[in-house]
Amino acid sequence: MALSKETYRALEDIVGTENISDDPALCDSYAFQWLAETVRPNRSHFMPRPVAALVPGSVEEIQAIVKTCNRYRIKVKPYSTGWYFYGAPQKDGDDTVQLDLRRLNRILEIDEGNMYAVIEPYVVATQLQAELIKVGLNCNIIGAGASTSVLASATSYSGGGPGTIWMGHNSESLLALEWVTPRGDILRTGSLGSGAGWFCGEGPGPSLRGICRGARGARGGMGVYTKCAIKLTHWPGPAQFDIEGTVPAYRTPIPDNFRVYSLAFPSLAAFAKAYYRIYDNDLGYIFHSQFNMLGGDLGPAFWIMYNDPTKTLNDIEEIAQKPEVKKLTEEMRRAFQIILAGRSLRDIEFQDKVLDQILAETGGWKVGRMTEPDLAEFTYLYLSRLGHKHLNMVYAGGYSGTWNQPGTPDYTIQYRPLAEAQLRAEQQSGLLVQAGGDSMMGPGSTLGGGGNASFEQFVSYDPADKESVNAMKQCMRNSMKVATEHGFPAGHVVPYVQIGMTDEQLHQQFAKANQPLVYHLQRKIKELLDPNDIGDRMYSWLPDSKDSQPG
Amino acid sequence: MALEDYRADMLRCTRCSYCKWVPFDQMKSGKFAKGCPSVEYNRFQPYSAGGRLAAALSLLEGRSSYTERFVDIAYNCLLCGSCDVSCKVCRYNIEPLRAMQELRFKLVEDGQLLHQHKAVIDGLRKEHNMLMKPGAGRGKWAEGLKVKELTKEKAEVAFHAGCRMSYDGRLQGIARIAVSLLQKAGVDFGIMGENEFCCGGRAFHMGYRTEFTKCAEYNIGAWTKAGVKTVVTSCSDGYHTFKRLYPEVGSNFEILHMVEFVDRLIKKGAIKFTRTVPMRVTYHDPCHLGRQGEPYAPWNGKEKKIRGQIVVYEPRKPRYNGAWGVYQPPREVLKAIPGLELIEMERIKEYAWCCGSGGGVKDAYPGFSAWTARERIEEAKSTGAEAIVSACPWCESNFSDAVKGNAMEMKVYDVMELVQQAL
Repeated sequence: MALSKETYRALEDIVGTENISDDPALCDSYAFQWLAETVRPNRSHFMPRPVAALVPGSVEEIQAIVKTCNRYRIKVKPYSTGWYFYGAPQKDGDDTVQLDLRRLNRILEIDEGNMYAVIEPYVVATQLQAELIKVGLNCNIIGAGASTSVLASATSYSGGGPGTIWMGHNSESLLALEWVTPRGDILRTGSLGSGAGWFCGEGPGPSLRGICRGARGARGGMGVYTKCAIKLTHWPGPAQFDIEGTVPAYRTPIPDNFRVYSLAFPSLAAFAKAYYRIYDNDLGYIFHSQFNMLGGDLGPAFWIMYNDPTKTLNDIEEIAQKPEVKKLTEEMRRAFQIILAGRSLRDIEFQDKVLDQILAETGGWKVGRMTEPDLAEFTYLYLSRLGHKHLNMVYAGGYSGTWNQPGTPDYTIQYRPLAEAQLRAEQQSGLLVQAGGDSMMGPGSTLGGGGNASFEQFVSYDPADKESVNAMKQCMRNSMKVATEHGFPAGHVVPYVQIGMTDEQLHQQFAKANQPLVYHLQRKIKELLDPNDIGDRMYSWLPDSKDSQPG
Repeated sequence: MALEDYRADMLRCTRCSYCKWVPFDQMKSGKFAKGCPSVEYNRFQPYSAGGRLAAALSLLEGRSSYTERFVDIAYNCLLCGSCDVSCKVCRYNIEPLRAMQELRFKLVEDGQLLHQHKAVIDGLRKEHNMLMKPGAGRGKWAEGLKVKELTKEKAEVAFHAGCRMSYDGRLQGIARIAVSLLQKAGVDFGIMGENEFCCGGRAFHMGYRTEFTKCAEYNIGAWTKAGVKTVVTSCSDGYHTFKRLYPEVGSNFEILHMVEFVDRLIKKGAIKFTRTVPMRVTYHDPCHLGRQGEPYAPWNGKEKKIRGQIVVYEPRKPRYNGAWGVYQPPREVLKAIPGLELIEMERIKEYAWCCGSGGGVKDAYPGFSAWTARERIEEAKSTGAEAIVSACPWCESNFSDAVKGNAMEMKVYDVMELVQQAL
């Protein structure tokens, strides 16, 4: 499909010649997305190609683009940093223009007193954090890491990460918002809507947080979010991370008022009990089960290898076979990482004592090797900044999360053994990375203050190997099957798999949901806000039986 | 190698965008957070390493073909290697920089050329330099210096001035300083003078593999004939070419940059500073001396898998990720100069912002080249430094042009010029 000359010219008039292109290779670079090969015909790495890519420079331009697309019935797919197949056009046959929001890249305001920042879509988490820590503030960096857009995680998709227990989920931290709706209206939510500033998402002014993002977010399917305010929290650490070590093994000294631990437990029951006790005692600036994402069998060997810049993956097997690493591997089978931050030395000493008491009550322990300066300083930097998060791709370039059903800690530990057994069995084929069945990763809490956790099973595969891709697809399906057979929701892969479905298949799934009424309600919202259907199906809705299209 | 050999790299890219930024751990501000000049200037996704790999995959899969835009995507990049460093913070089995270089080779082989590059390459073929100057004038920079000519005499050390220093009147003095330092240290060395050829590195980066190989074969032959064992240069482009590219053509000379050489002399006590240079300066790491200046390690192997699907190499593949570039010697030299204060910019060493002169961009995309230099000068200014110092004539030339063209207040020096002032 291609844009008509008239449509192209209309869009070009808005953004200027240099900010629009319909070149096939250029547009293909937008279609190329991680995980596409798991859902696309012939395991293609390309999602549907946009008919043009645009790089707008202002909210006014975006509004004009959206109005033009309404006029010509062209779909609009915005993205900020653009990582994930959700960010690409979704359906073959749809004429979709891709809006690359990289020119909207400003930190507009940091209000220290009221503890919020106003940002545009292409401000990534680390940029914001680098400015915030200079003034003693911090922001939650989501699990996908330093390279992600803060606005996107707050408005459009998932917003949890290692710091969520202290700083809140980014959906919780979303304050006022500027939104170009699919109709082309500019809507200002919360306090911004009444001209009172950015400080509140709910009012005085329209509170539309539920419609804008809900739980999962519209993932670019419901207009364009152009600015938002995000709630900040205090940072009792240094104004800048002084980086030591040789790339990639960067690390930074741990301040006296911080503690960095990997904690291990004799059983999942003890592991879960420790979660509750940490919640009860308001512990944890950072709290995450992170390092086993590279596999229960191989994770510790990997981290030791990674911290020696002279080593490569060629060395991992030899490292894994060392007696001390074998011992460490067994020791860390049930482990998570925690960073304590004290407002004073007395505070941190108190927190340390409380943690020791929790360990005494649960039978847990601090993993000795991980408290040695090299790995502790690495852990501190890694989890504070999440600048190495794409190590989840390190083995072969492909990974997918599976399982990841959120709930209370004692709920999550019920599915962990199932997930572990399933993955270990899948790995026997040799078509997936054999890193061990327990690659369960997840934030200590997905809500500020604790109370809700989840564990995502990381499965690694080679996207350049079609048989490995097939094995990954099978593993995704099996994870849903095993989960549902044991009474758990199908989990994290459901929205992944849905990308590859036809509209009919998708609607059948929605119709079977526990509360299909929600999807009908969302259709009503879509009819109101997107009468010409220029957003894609990332905003989920069910057609009326009498009328399969909104509007 | 051929572009097809990098298909797996393309498929294994996860489009994470690390290639666009400095390594995140090293990010010190929102302003100086970007690593890739190409995507910053050209905006669209395919002007990043990840995007370029996707565009190349599109070409290989027959989804797209050569267009004016595609050619622009391939050439409108400095090949500075910032992407390569940031990518490899998390990856051991992707070579973005090599894949982008291979894309250029393919374009040249397929006749997809830029006329600006073609003119320069024609000059190289005829006059053996990249500045479209007559070959006959190449040795003029050394007039009056009492230095051996290696076509007539033998010496264990060759000083290679390079195209830029040989012809650029603003920079010839740096080559003369280098010669005087080598003389003062009592080194038995010579130059090729009129018979010096371009190193070929810039032709390589433009995608002209054959022309590069011809330059390499000529220089290797000339040095061998003159009994040379060590090649010293003040040009970082030349340094990278001799050190990293020539071994593939059969070279096994010791390669030293002048900053390494002078650093050794200072440490041995062979150079003693007598004058103070009261100046606040900041140092710019040239890409080809820094992240791309790592030692060469031969490798001829293949991919294999362990633990089912972990991608490794048999035998072990050398890892070029900027860890072992030449970062300390220039800093040690500057710190040894009495009165001189060295202040660091935010983006340094393996994650330094490029000067804007490489990859054939200066020739084909002067606006992009000037913008990149201007960004760096702004970063230098933000430190409070009064001068930006580098160790590459191409960097200095581009910085000087940016300062002059934009009426900016910033002095531009080569490390050797400050050394000379302190002697």
